[in-house]
Amino acid sequence: MAEETKTEPKQKTSSAKSTESAKKIRYIVKRMYQKAQQAKEQNLKVAYCMVMCNYEEILEALDVVQVYTENYAGLCAVKREAEQYMKKAQAEGYSDVLCGYAQVGIGFDAWRHELGGAMPPDAPDGGMPEPDVLLGCSMGCDPRWKWYQALGRYKDTPIYNMEVLMPPSDADFDAIKDYYVRYMAEELRGLIAFLEKQTGKKMDYDRLTAIVKQVEETRQWWRKAYDLRRALPCPMSTQDHFVIFVPHHMLLTDPITLDFYKGLYDELKGRVDNKIGVIDDERYRLLWGVGIPPWHSMYILDYFQEFGAVFAAETAYMIPEPFEMPANVKDPVELIALRAFERNSAMQRRGKEAGSIPPLAQAHLERIRDFSIDGVVMHITRSCRAATMGQILTRQVIRDHYPRMPVMFMESDIVDLETYSEAESKNQIDTFMEMVGTYKKSSR
Amino acid sequence: MAKIAQRGLIRARELYEHREARAQELANKGKKVIGYFCSYTPVEIFTALDIVPYRIQGKVGKPAEKAGQYLESIVCPFVRSCFDLAIGGEYNFLSGAVIPHTCDAMHRLYDIWKYHLKPPYSYSLYVPHMTHQASYEFFQKEIENLKTGVEQFVGRSASEKDLIRAISLHNHSRALLRKLYELRKQEPPLISGSEVMWVLIAGMTTPIQEFNELMEEVVAEVRNRKPSHDTKPRLLISGSEVDDDSLMRLVEESGANVVMDDLCTGSRFFWQDVDPSKGAIPGLAERYLGVTCPRTYRPGKAAQRFSYLGDFIREWKAQGVILYTIRFCDTYQLDAPEMKDYIQSLGLPVLFLEDTYVTSPIGQWKTRVEAFLETIEARRE
Repeated sequence: MAEETKTEPKQKTSSAKSTESAKKIRYIVKRMYQKAQQAKEQNLKVAYCMVMCNYEEILEALDVVQVYTENYAGLCAVKREAEQYMKKAQAEGYSDVLCGYAQVGIGFDAWRHELGGAMPPDAPDGGMPEPDVLLGCSMGCDPRWKWYQALGRYKDTPIYNMEVLMPPSDADFDAIKDYYVRYMAEELRGLIAFLEKQTGKKMDYDRLTAIVKQVEETRQWWRKAYDLRRALPCPMSTQDHFVIFVPHHMLLTDPITLDFYKGLYDELKGRVDNKIGVIDDERYRLLWGVGIPPWHSMYILDYFQEFGAVFAAETAYMIPEPFEMPANVKDPVELIALRAFERNSAMQRRGKEAGSIPPLAQAHLERIRDFSIDGVVMHITRSCRAATMGQILTRQVIRDHYPRMPVMFMESDIVDLETYSEAESKNQIDTFMEMVGTYKKSSR
Repeated sequence: MAKIAQRGLIRARELYEHREARAQELANKGKKVIGYFCSYTPVEIFTALDIVPYRIQGKVGKPAEKAGQYLESIVCPFVRSCFDLAIGGEYNFLSGAVIPHTCDAMHRLYDIWKYHLKPPYSYSLYVPHMTHQASYEFFQKEIENLKTGVEQFVGRSASEKDLIRAISLHNHSRALLRKLYELRKQEPPLISGSEVMWVLIAGMTTPIQEFNELMEEVVAEVRNRKPSHDTKPRLLISGSEVDDDSLMRLVEESGANVVMDDLCTGSRFFWQDVDPSKGAIPGLAERYLGVTCPRTYRPGKAAQRFSYLGDFIREWKAQGVILYTIRFCDTYQLDAPEMKDYIQSLGLPVLFLEDTYVTSPIGQWKTRVEAFLETIEARRE
């Protein structure tokens, strides 16, 4: 199969990075997969996971090694090695418009199953180790838990799928808070019971509390660093952001992560103080709107720089909202549940207060205001409904508030290279940047 | 406005063909009609408050002319079609919309619907994806919230007694539908898949009291039919939203009998009763979270998860299964291959069809359906 479908990397697919911090990520990612592959030798359990499920601290406290399968698919796409796994999934009967990440992940594990449990040959970064548990979650999109259920075709790995709630935009947040938090806490307790059984370990709640606190500190540093991007010129671009989120999203509880974001802050502070921008002559500031980027061709973002444009902010892979830990909540499980509710309803609350602005659009309006944005680029991804549906609504709301602000829809996919046309994208960008130029001139 | 026949299957067919007519007529007389999506909305809440629940549907084969301005091209085509009708004014008779958070498309549709259509009343009902004990407790609270919101909207409240009465009406309707489905067990079945589709759509678009009267007539009418002697392949159709009879007609005109279904608009919609013995709301939560759509996580391997399908196949003596999915439906697409394995493990052939709904390829499926039926015929011989 490898010979038939494998696509050799044709070119460098990554984008240019402006910070030293971003340049460290490749090493961090390689180390992450190496550690995961060595976990079995150390008698540690490996979990297939999804990012931002609020269970990272629990896994760390029970010494469960985390492997983020969506992001492994992204890595395969960056290396242009995704196609072989997608083809395998499609041969297994899965639709070619199913979530691209799920196609890669299912194809990978179907192939491993076919090989009697052996790692698919030449898997990027050594491949994902065989998991001991599968931990899906309902937040974000349906494939984030449904995918692991589908893996039941290939393995008998125990599953715990967990609800993580995202309140509706117009909810009465005070009225729902109690039962939303209660449900979330019960889901987390169910996860702990499941993992205690699978690992044979007992949860150390003091350790869990300490990890929760450390995670909050990590987030504060990332947020402080992120806010420095409001500066003119912008010290760091979206190209950097799309790798800099990795420690937070996949190594949240790793001791290196806190230091990484402190280091990022120091670096960006130095750049801001010395007025070092992403490019020498920053003329336009763009927002990468909702939409997971085209991992297979990230360098296309650099093309905007030829027009003097910098992506100063984005609404994908966002930093979680700030959370003040209430002193009266001692149980770390309650704390995580409360944090999930407060975070997942923050944008809804602000949107509601601002006059029934849908939360996704509210996130864009805030970034446009805070980061002095001149134009918005969104990415319509063929295989990702969750990150795509609502983009037209978001554009409409942006136009309600900034009637002439240019908004561009780039169309391709998160993983599937066949949907991508470089020439078409560049043509679109040429036109878009003309509009941004006109907009900027007229708004002076 | 279309004039609808008074009785039995002819009335059901006319209600199917002019599905909005009765609700519109009632709305014109001042009755509140609330539109809802999916099999997960507890319609008893509306009935208890003297509101007509109307299941929002699309229109197979009708190009979504306006939806493209509002919805991305990769959005579930069923959702696009529904929104297209709504933005075109065909659902203007609705006083509100309840859109349950059942799948990604429904979840995101809520803000879009609200922003552009500005319904006087709207509610996004969070239906848990999981089925843990805490999920049921959470869902009860959500249903209570829905009830409170609708009560405020109409300015009156529903007592426990009102709810129990509504549950009883809907359970009666479910019992009548199951009776009708029993008549499909015969060889050949006494009612076709297309006729069943008409009845089901009538049930989703008319007040429950009227539908129950209609069902009594339909069951009696079908029961009195003289069975024919032709023995055609017996099929079960499993899938999501089928709110149009063209697929059933295609299959039946190709020489098969559709004897059972596992559809959001079919058995999934009515199969289970509500047990109000622990209270109306707990009964509703338990019943509606029990709906077997792939959007809800049920633990276990395929044989356990799809055992209900195996029971349908055995009891209705199905000889083949059509798996029908709508393009871009991730939850169904992620289940379909395993479902296919399971059905094949029972010794039945499976035909997998992926629909685009708006520009439906149903007409192009004839050859595939005929070839599938030949496979079944060969096995029968």
